[in-house]
Amino acid sequence: MSKRTIQLEVLRYRPEQDKEPFFQTYTVPCEEEWVVLDALNYVKDEIDRTLSFRWSCHMFVCGSCGYKIDGEPKLGCKAFLRDYGDNIRVEPLDNFPIERDLVVVIDDFVEKLQSVKPYIIAKEEKALAAGEYIQTPAQLKAFKQYSMCINCLLCYSACPQYGLTNQEFIGPAALALAHRYNMDSRDVGRSAREHVLAAHEGVWECSFVGACSVVCPKDVDPAGAIQQAKFTSAVDYLTSMVGIGGK
Amino acid sequence: MGARRPYMRTMSKTSWFMTHARFKTYMLHEISSVFVALYMWLLIDGLFRLAKGPEAWEAWLSFIKHPLVVVISLIAFAFFVIHTMSWFKAVPQAMRIQQGEHFVDGKLIIGGHYAALGAFSLFVLILAGVA
Repeated sequence: MSKRTIQLEVLRYRPEQDKEPFFQTYTVPCEEEWVVLDALNYVKDEIDRTLSFRWSCHMFVCGSCGYKIDGEPKLGCKAFLRDYGDNIRVEPLDNFPIERDLVVVIDDFVEKLQSVKPYIIAKEEKALAAGEYIQTPAQLKAFKQYSMCINCLLCYSACPQYGLTNQEFIGPAALALAHRYNMDSRDVGRSAREHVLAAHEGVWECSFVGACSVVCPKDVDPAGAIQQAKFTSAVDYLTSMVGIGGK
Repeated sequence: MGARRPYMRTMSKTSWFMTHARFKTYMLHEISSVFVALYMWLLIDGLFRLAKGPEAWEAWLSFIKHPLVVVISLIAFAFFVIHTMSWFKAVPQAMRIQQGEHFVDGKLIIGGHYAALGAFSLFVLILAGVA
């Protein structure tokens, strides 16, 4: 196993003593197969136990270890050191307040996520004994891609609209998830989500930069979901104008 | 435990797009649409001149043959091509066509758009007596 040494530049911010964030460089001896998260854990275990960062599964499932790595939002567990030079810069995700070091405050996202009612709103609740809600593979296919989101927030970090609107924009992941439930054959909640989706801060704030879909580690394609939701929203608006009404 | 003091990094409203190559490309693409809009204005102006009569129309024709206007038209045409390509490229994302358990291949959708563009262009050229 070949070893190499990297310089890991990490943005530090300790609210009790730092006025503003600053970069601290750590020299890390690392293995060929390491990812950025391994290097951060090495720092935490061997060099500086005060360094704070979120992580959990180490296999791009939990969505906790989103950082900006060399200027690009990435999952720390999916960013292999072999794909980077000997100097790697790790920062917290953009567009979120920094709580401490690489940990960001995600309360705003959680509120936005709740606002789109990301759960099935059935026409009528069935008793458990009445069995499952039946869905064909084709009906599942219609929304499955948009259900793969792990709430890692890389898309919010990459989205300039979210930053430019001072976080007013509902944003890629929440909108993609709203679209996911709207596309679900078991769901009838489109009108209940409409006031969030069709609002100015909803799908119409998206200018289709497309960065969210580029950085998404699960190929959810939030940008595509938002463009489709724009179309649905426009149709809903027009049909309501002539009094036909939507779903 | 110390009190929480979250730090918000600022984002420049006027130069944010300089922070990433992806955003620079996006902004150049958006700005280039100004040329497309100008060319549309030129064409609409031509229609008005045509309505005014033969003299106004001839004046407009000689105006668009001016070397400077030809150069600007060529630049506008290049941007038209770029915008057409980027628009068509985005179509499969915005318009997914599902057949059973599969989605129609995005390349087919894009190809269909180019075919329609080609057919319509040919129709216009035939109508204009060029082809």
